[in-house]
Amino acid sequence: MLFSQAKGHKVVSTATAEQVGKVKDVVVDPTTHSVVALLLKKTDHGSVLRWSDLTGFGSDAATVASVDLLLESDDQVDGLRGKEHEVLGKRVLDTRGDELGEVKDLDIDPTSGAIISLVLERRSVPGAALVGVGSYAVVVGQT
Amino acid sequence: MRTSEITKRPVVTHQGEDVAQVKDIVFAANGGRVGGFTLAGRGLFSGPKKEALSWESVGSLGADAVMIESEAAFEPHQSVLDRSARSGGSGGDVLGSKVLTDAGTDLGVVVDVVVEVDDDAHTCDVIGYEIEASEALETKGTRLLIPLPATLSASKEFLMVPDSARNFVGRDLAGFGASVAAFRAQLEGGA
Repeated sequence: MLFSQAKGHKVVSTATAEQVGKVKDVVVDPTTHSVVALLLKKTDHGSVLRWSDLTGFGSDAATVASVDLLLESDDQVDGLRGKEHEVLGKRVLDTRGDELGEVKDLDIDPTSGAIISLVLERRSVPGAALVGVGSYAVVVGQT
Repeated sequence: MRTSEITKRPVVTHQGEDVAQVKDIVFAANGGRVGGFTLAGRGLFSGPKKEALSWESVGSLGADAVMIESEAAFEPHQSVLDRSARSGGSGGDVLGSKVLTDAGTDLGVVVDVVVEVDDDAHTCDVIGYEIEASEALETKGTRLLIPLPATLSASKEFLMVPDSARNFVGRDLAGFGASVAAFRAQLEGGA
């Protein structure tokens, strides 16, 4: 599922059927090529929801067992969030040193959280090619 | 590519950080090869760096960035300069030197250096110079690309090329690599 389609989705507790927040952003771990957490907005609780704590990531909403799983912070997630770790909107360089474009969207496996592909302006790059994400660029292997 | 296009290019780690930019090219093997790069910090107000990058530590020289594995690739400035000097000298600053053929004709003044990356040998070779043509060439004042033999003879004032280099002069980088190869093949053939 494209992140652009999931952005703004309601996050609903399966215990109380109440909305506990909205999807604002994803936190990506470049070493595992996957989404490790969602960042939420409009929440009265924590804004970090680890991917492993999700019950479902569906086409209409994301679900979570309990509001208690929303965290204020998480050590692994804190090391991977922030502007320098942001993937969307960043320039993409391959390891040859050639610029491929800018990340416009992410195609995410709704079950595992694996990044299937990075969607650029005119092409896409398989998520498995992801090498690193830094303040200057997203670096991908030669594809 | 022209070395003038390489300076100011960012040096980016595989982690996506722009840790430096290319300040200058260090030549090795008497000017026939790129030995490495001196570096400057990124941003308007950052000056030259104490570290430099030897060609062996460069992962790839691309169109938009110089890629390195990590900052561990950096080494002290002086050691890169020393190593290049040991391989036959830096060849000095060739910009402004006169290109002289072995027949004694002054072809013009060097305004840029053309290099080509050889991926198999992992070297970056100097394959030609861009010169501003002298009156010896019909196109005086225009910029021309002149192929170089594999080994160079250079002093502070002159760069010596075989007279036959005149037959392999190019106007733009497209196809220049092929004309350099043809020129070198002809030299080796002893023609």
